[in-house]
Amino acid sequence: MAVAKIFNIQSFSTTDGPGIRTVVFFQGCNLSCAWCHNPESRLPDAPEAFIQEKCIGCGACGAGGECYAQARIKTCREFTPDGLFRLLEIDLPYLKNSGGGVTFSGGECMLQADFLEEMVKICSEKGIHTAVDTAGHVPYEWLTRVNPNMFLYDIKALSPEVHKKLVGVDGVLIWENLEKLLRDGFRVQVRIPCVPGANWDELPLIFEKLRDIGAADVELLAYHRLGEGKNELYNLSGKEVPAFKPPTKKEMEELWNLLSFPRK
Amino acid sequence: MESVKLSEEVAARIKAMHDTKVIENRKKVERFGGKYNTDDHGFICFDDFKFEPEYPAGYDIMFGARCIGENLKRFFNEMPVYIHPSSALAGAWAGFFNRDFVNIGLRPEDVPAHLHPTHEKYGLYPGIGGMNHLGPDMEIGLRLGYPGLLEKVRYYQKKNAPAGEDFYAGEAAVMEGILAYTENHMHYASQLAKETADPWEKENYAKIAETLSGLISGPPKTFRAAIQFLAIFQSADRTYFGGGALQQLDELIRPYYEADKKAGILTDEEAIWMLASFLYNDTHYSQVGGQSPDGTKELTSPVSYLILQAAHELAIPHNLALRVFEGSDDKLLRRALEHIMEKGTGVCFSLAKGIEEGYVKQGHPIELARMRANVGCNWVALPGIEYPLQDVTRLNMGFCFVHALNDTMAAGAPDLDKLWANFSKHLQAAVECIAEGYDWHYEVVSRNTPELVLNLFCHGPIERGVNCASGGVDILNLNVDGIALATVADSFAAIEVRVVDEKKLTWDEMYSTVKNNFKDAENIRLMLKNIPRFGHPESKSLPWALRIRDEFVRLVNENPTPKHRIRVVPGMFSHGEIYEYAKNLPATPNGRFDSDPISHSNEPDPGFASGVISFSPSLKATAVALAQPGMGNSAPLHLDVDTNMIRGAGGIDALVALVHTHNQMGGTRINLNCVTPEQILAAHENPDAFPDLVIRVTGYSAFFSSLSKDYRQQVVDRYLK
Repeated sequence: MAVAKIFNIQSFSTTDGPGIRTVVFFQGCNLSCAWCHNPESRLPDAPEAFIQEKCIGCGACGAGGECYAQARIKTCREFTPDGLFRLLEIDLPYLKNSGGGVTFSGGECMLQADFLEEMVKICSEKGIHTAVDTAGHVPYEWLTRVNPNMFLYDIKALSPEVHKKLVGVDGVLIWENLEKLLRDGFRVQVRIPCVPGANWDELPLIFEKLRDIGAADVELLAYHRLGEGKNELYNLSGKEVPAFKPPTKKEMEELWNLLSFPRK
Repeated sequence: MESVKLSEEVAARIKAMHDTKVIENRKKVERFGGKYNTDDHGFICFDDFKFEPEYPAGYDIMFGARCIGENLKRFFNEMPVYIHPSSALAGAWAGFFNRDFVNIGLRPEDVPAHLHPTHEKYGLYPGIGGMNHLGPDMEIGLRLGYPGLLEKVRYYQKKNAPAGEDFYAGEAAVMEGILAYTENHMHYASQLAKETADPWEKENYAKIAETLSGLISGPPKTFRAAIQFLAIFQSADRTYFGGGALQQLDELIRPYYEADKKAGILTDEEAIWMLASFLYNDTHYSQVGGQSPDGTKELTSPVSYLILQAAHELAIPHNLALRVFEGSDDKLLRRALEHIMEKGTGVCFSLAKGIEEGYVKQGHPIELARMRANVGCNWVALPGIEYPLQDVTRLNMGFCFVHALNDTMAAGAPDLDKLWANFSKHLQAAVECIAEGYDWHYEVVSRNTPELVLNLFCHGPIERGVNCASGGVDILNLNVDGIALATVADSFAAIEVRVVDEKKLTWDEMYSTVKNNFKDAENIRLMLKNIPRFGHPESKSLPWALRIRDEFVRLVNENPTPKHRIRVVPGMFSHGEIYEYAKNLPATPNGRFDSDPISHSNEPDPGFASGVISFSPSLKATAVALAQPGMGNSAPLHLDVDTNMIRGAGGIDALVALVHTHNQMGGTRINLNCVTPEQILAAHENPDAFPDLVIRVTGYSAFFSSLSKDYRQQVVDRYLK
């Protein structure tokens, strides 16, 4: 049986698909976005976080014991599909009453496609709407095999060189997969993080391209700073995380006007 | 119904009342030593007003209908007059008669000293001598008017004589006092009309005087007069023992609204102003929305919308509830949620399914259950025919657990079965003590502190010459709240997980650490505390919580009062007093220190989500719905939602679904705040910088700045953990 690594389950989300969603965050990612909100999810296994202010200095961790103070935490857990579904079905009445469902996110949930395929099947059998939040940098057949009710498809840049600089890959596969999904009639909502100082100048190009390929459902996501400080918390090494500034409401309004797509 | 566009003039009048309320609130906070941990209450601080009580000969405590009635009559007559210059109504109250002006209560020989050792052992708040927690039927008053009510008292006084002589003397005196209070305000309004130069104020004062004149001579005939009638009731009811219940407000005043609209003498804008004036007068609890008794008609009307808008425009604490039922029209619910999203708080939501089905379980017809309006901090009541005495009697199950643990350890060879058996034994003893105390209450309260104001608005007391608490009304079902559910459930589960399953601790280690209040054992305290707690979907606490709930409900249901066989009904509401109720409770195995607060009502403790599971409103709501006592008395869900998380088009939809789902799952009441954690933290740090911030604390709403640090902390904890 497939097993997946999950680092967070957030119920009652209202921003990750239609209605009330339970969002399952999968561990591991194949991109490295400069503004990543969940840097702890990039590695295949969860790093340990250390929260200094919770430490009571009991020394249990040094002796290999459990940290009951929850100063050292490693949130990632392995789940079987049935085990995960037992947690998801708790919120079933809220999901059904709101026209909501389950959203699989990450990290990059598509990297655990076998498990995901099984989860989507279980949810569908129970009449639960499914959404897969993906950056799309995976073989196209993985996406079609998983086959959720909808994709929340992240687009971050258009120009290959900018794409490579910002997220670590050139984005060609990502755009190809998006075009194929649209062509093959999958329900896709394109979601674009809007990050001043990072992909801001790319946004008009992205909008134009989306119009060209017939994307009709587009959501603009204002960058926020919830991920800041996590590198330090999880003792993550790597490239220096630049400090981006969230866009103002006015800037976002101007973007929506520029996009000129219907706003949901 | 669309919101009414207010003219600048009307908006300014409502704003003026709002601003005065903020100033008056500051005065109250100063008067009460820097904090006021309850409803804002509408009273005005008349610093110069003093009252000289006349006590029964040989006593320094006031009791008895005639004695109290005569004192109240004089008090009402001597109370300062008050009309806010921007208000449509006259009157204000001057503080609690019982708390601020006289020593009143059970005479010494009626105090149940024999029960005090058990009360102390179990930390019981037994409710003996409890007052005001019933709902009136104001239609009785609106149809008869104040003079008609006095006439009714005199009619039955004569008819039933010599029975009820003392009772009727007290009731008649109270009515005479209320009429004097009304007349004093009439003269004051006339005087102001003469003195003021402002043409609008002159006309308004004259109109107030004319309205009051009408109320002195008969029942109210217009919308304004009906509202004025209710405002006078609010002032009188609050004065005497802090009564705070009204009833289904929209339906109560709808006939006056419709008649005046038809006659062309009332606009919606005027109605909003009058309703705002009424809400300025006091924070009495009332309900909008709901169903007719036969279930065929939705009670939402244009008046429901006008009431909501008046409260929203005035933006001060109020205690309106919106009744939600399966199939109800969501437009009013959406309007209420929009208001909450905009201002941070608003109405609470009273949920029909759990309340009604629970009441039916008590043996009442569903038609009666539908009439039970939300008229208290957490509670519902039938207007004028039920004496439920909710929200005054608490059984802290934490004490039963502590005694059980002591007994189990003292007997040796401890295990969970023995611990449970001992817990059940102590819970039974506490429940039986409450029931015995209620017999006492039934026998003594009426000869000491009869409900002299509320009796007038009930079906039976005046006709029978009997106080409502002792058979004046048809239904007596006395509530007891079992509290500290999560504290006890998490304690059982912590022992199960760490001692029995994982064997990380022996029973002796666990017990000695708890008995020593976790001194020098922080790691063990955290080991016990940081199990998946009640509310966490993988917690072992949930089965314990349900078992404890079931045992409490069973014991209460099986123990009517031993002598008079009065039904006792289980509830689970702790009010906001989770610090007060815990002050003598020793440390518990859920990692709680001696005297730290107990859990709230039947809710999980803050911080229950852990590991891969993040906190969410639905997780908390599910736990509260599952652990309802289920007998028609509500156990509220406090939801403090980060506005950042529900902005956008889907936010209101999600909250609508949440309210309906909680109703379907058996939840009974939702108290909702929507602000950001940043806002609440800033206000906690510097409350005076946010004098306008209104928060629903538990069942009541209050200015956040008027709460003590402990009370503010409760709200902050709910947001941040």
